[in-house]
Amino acid sequence: MTTILSLDNVSYAYEGTTKNVLQNMSADFETGLVYTIIGKSGAGKTTLLSLLSGLDVATDGRILVGKASLKKINRDTYRSRHVGVVFQSYNLLTNATALQNIVLSMSISHCPQKNKKAYAYALLKKIGIDRETADRKILKLSGGEQQRVAIARALAHNPAILIADEPTGNLDKETEDDILNIFARLAREEDRCIIIVTHSKRVTAIADVVYRIQDGCLTAENG
Amino acid sequence: MYIIQNAMQNLLRNKGRNLMMAAIIFVVIVSSVVALIINNTASGVINDYKTRFGSEVYLTVNMEKVIQESDGSSRIARPTIPAEQLLAFASSDYLLSTKMTAGGRGNSDDLKAIDEDKGPGGGPMLSMGPVPGGGGPGDSNLSSIPKTRQYYYHLFANQYDDFESGSRELTEGSRFPEKSGECLISQELLENSGLAIGDTIKINSDINDPGTGPGDETYYDIEFQLTIVGTYQDLTDEYGNSMMENAFTNRRNEIFMYIDDLASVVTEGLMGIDVNATYYLKDPDLLEAFTAELRAKGLKETFDVTTDEASYNAIVGPVVAMKGISLTFVAIVLAFGAIIVALLASLAVRERKYEIGVLRAMGMKKSRVALGLWTETITITAFCLVIGLAVGGFAAQPITNILLDQQVEAAEQAQSNSFMPQPGGSGPVAIGGGPAGPTVTAGPAPGFFGQTSAETIKSIDVAINLETILEIIVIALVLSSLAGLIAIRRITKYEPMKILMERN
Ligand SMILES: Nc1ncnc2c1ncn2[C@@H]1O[C@H](COP(=O)(O)OP(=O)(O)OP(=O)(O)O)[C@@H](O)[C@H]1O
Ligand SMILES: [Mg+2]
Repeated sequence: MTTILSLDNVSYAYEGTTKNVLQNMSADFETGLVYTIIGKSGAGKTTLLSLLSGLDVATDGRILVGKASLKKINRDTYRSRHVGVVFQSYNLLTNATALQNIVLSMSISHCPQKNKKAYAYALLKKIGIDRETADRKILKLSGGEQQRVAIARALAHNPAILIADEPTGNLDKETEDDILNIFARLAREEDRCIIIVTHSKRVTAIADVVYRIQDGCLTAENG
Repeated sequence: MYIIQNAMQNLLRNKGRNLMMAAIIFVVIVSSVVALIINNTASGVINDYKTRFGSEVYLTVNMEKVIQESDGSSRIARPTIPAEQLLAFASSDYLLSTKMTAGGRGNSDDLKAIDEDKGPGGGPMLSMGPVPGGGGPGDSNLSSIPKTRQYYYHLFANQYDDFESGSRELTEGSRFPEKSGECLISQELLENSGLAIGDTIKINSDINDPGTGPGDETYYDIEFQLTIVGTYQDLTDEYGNSMMENAFTNRRNEIFMYIDDLASVVTEGLMGIDVNATYYLKDPDLLEAFTAELRAKGLKETFDVTTDEASYNAIVGPVVAMKGISLTFVAIVLAFGAIIVALLASLAVRERKYEIGVLRAMGMKKSRVALGLWTETITITAFCLVIGLAVGGFAAQPITNILLDQQVEAAEQAQSNSFMPQPGGSGPVAIGGGPAGPTVTAGPAPGFFGQTSAETIKSIDVAINLETILEIIVIALVLSSLAGLIAIRRITKYEPMKILMERN
C-alpha cells in the first residue's frame, strides 16, 4: 500500500464566486483501499472528484499524484492513463454505441490490446451488458445500462485510480453488488485505489475509509 | 489511426448536419470551379492575343506634333525615320525579332521587262500615290516626267509574304538573296531577257530629296550590280490589285534584293526607297521601356510608338469583361463561402461542445480533438471537391457561352452607339487624315490594321486544366483549414469540466 493521491490543504471556489466550496482539505489516498466520500447534496463531493481526476485545478493548495503536483504534470495524460472516472451524469457519447464509447476511450488511452473490440465486449459482459446491448447507441439504453457502460469505460484502460460519482445510483441491488464486488476486487487483488462518492449504505459497507464532506471540510468517519 | 476512424464514424452519425455542411461547401466549390475555369481560360485567350497583337510595335507619325513643329509653314514635310536608325532600333534587347523590309523602283538595260510595250510607270510622286490613268506611253502625266524617272521594275527586300502564302514559289535551284549583290527575279523576266541564273545585271535606281515640293526635287542616282541567284514562279494574277496595267505594275517585273543593299542607301529626308521595320517585343509590357530606348537612340518626338491596342481591345474586350465578372464572382463566392464555413464550424463546435467535453475528460488532447474535427471537414470537402469538379466542369461551358454572349452583345451595342467608326480609334493617326501611308511610317498604322483584322472573339472553349484543379484544391484546403482553425480556437477556450457542467 502506497500513497498515490494526496490533498494538501486544498481549497476551491468556483470561478466568479467568492465562497469556498472546499476548504483547506488534506487527505491521503492509498492503493489497495476503497474510499467512499459521503455528504449532503451540494456539499461539494462532485467538486472534489473533479479536482482529484484532474478536470479542474484547486484554487489553493496542492493535489499530489505520487510525489508530483497535479499542476505540474500533463493532466491530459493523467486523465487518459492513470485515472478512470465514472461521472454522476455518465458523460457518454450519446450518438455512439456502448462499444464505440469503450473502444474510443481505449484508443485515447493508448491501450495495448490488439483487439480492442473483443476486449470491450468482454468487459461490458462482465458488468452485465450483452453484445446486442453493446451495439446499441447510448441514447437507446436505460439509465442503469448507461451507468454500467460508464463504469466499463472508466475501467477499460486499467487505471491505477478509479473515481466514481454515485456509480450505483440507478442500479438494482443485485447489479449493485456485482459492481461493488468488482471494485473491491480491483482494490484488493489488483492494488488499485478506488474512490467512490455515494449516498448508499451498501457502498460504504465495503469501504476501508469513509470521508465526509461537511461545510467544506473533509473528515474521516470512524467505523 | 483512431482519430480518422472516429471522424468517419462521426460523419455517419450526424448525417443531417454533415449533409448541410456538404451542400454549402459544394456550392462554394462548384461556383469557384466554374469561375476559375472561365477565368483561367480567358487569361489564356487574353495572353495569346496579347502576344499576338500587343507585341507588334508601330512607329507612326503623330501629325498633331508635326503641325505644331512646322511653325505655320505651308508645306509640311512628313517626317521619316532614317534607315540607319531603323537598323539601330532593331538591336534592342526588348525585341524578340525585327522584320526589316524595303521597297523601291528601278530600270535596267540588261533586262527586258514583261509588258514593256505597255510602258513604264511610277514617278516622283509614286510614293504618295501612284499616277492615275492607263499609264501607256502616250500618257499625258508621264510625258512630263523625265525618261529616267519612269520605271519598269519594282525593287523589294524581305517582302516574301506571297512566298509564304504560296502564291509564289521558288523554282528549282533557286534561293532568296542572302548577301549583298544578289537578286531574285521572276522566271518570265529571266526568260524574256534571255538570261540565266548566275548572270549579273546592272540596275539603276535613285533616291531624291523632295525639297520644297514638286519640281524642286534633287535626284541622286544609284547603281546596283546584282547576280541572279534564283527565279520565282508567280501563280498570281499579273496585275494583282493594281488599277493600272503597265510594266511597272506587272508583278512579274518585281525584283527581290538583299535588304542591306536597298536599305543602306537611304539617309534622313531622302525618298524613293522606303524602308520599313516591324519590331516584335518579347513582352507587350516592355513597350514603355522600348519607347524610351528609341527616343534615346534618336527617334523624333513626331513619331509615336504604339502597339495594336485597338485591335487587341476589340478582339478580347468581351473576354476581358467576362474574366472580370468571373473574378468578381470568385471573390464574392469565396468571401461568402469563408464566412459561411466559419459560421458553420463555429456552430458545429458549439453544438458538439458536450462531445468535445467528453473526449477531453477522457484525456484526449486539444490538438487531437481539433484534428478529428478537421478530418471531418476535410473529408466532406474532399467529397464535395470530386463531385464539384465534375459538375463545375460540365457547367462551365454553358455558363461561359451565356456570359460571353452578353459581353459580345454589350460590346456591339457600345460600338454601334459610338461615333468612332472603329473601336478605340482615337489614336494619333486619325488626325493625320486617313490611314497613314505605309511609305512614311515604319509599319502599318494601328487603325488601318485594326479595321481589317479585329474580329471579336465570340466564343471560347473552356476546359478544366491542372492549374484550375490545383487552385480549387488550394481553395478547398484553405476553407477547411479555416474551419479547423476556428474549431481549435473555440476548443482551447473551454476546459472539459466546464463544458460538461454547463450541460448538466
Ligand atoms: N459551475 C458552478 N459554479 C458555481 N457553483 C457551482 C458550480 N457547480 C456546482 N456549484 C455549487 O457547488 C456546490 C457543490 O456542488 P457539487 O456538485 O460538488 O455538490 P455534490 O456534493 O456533488 O452534490 P450532489 O450530491 O447533489 O451531487 C453546490 O452548492 C453547487 O451549487
Ligand atoms: Mg454530485
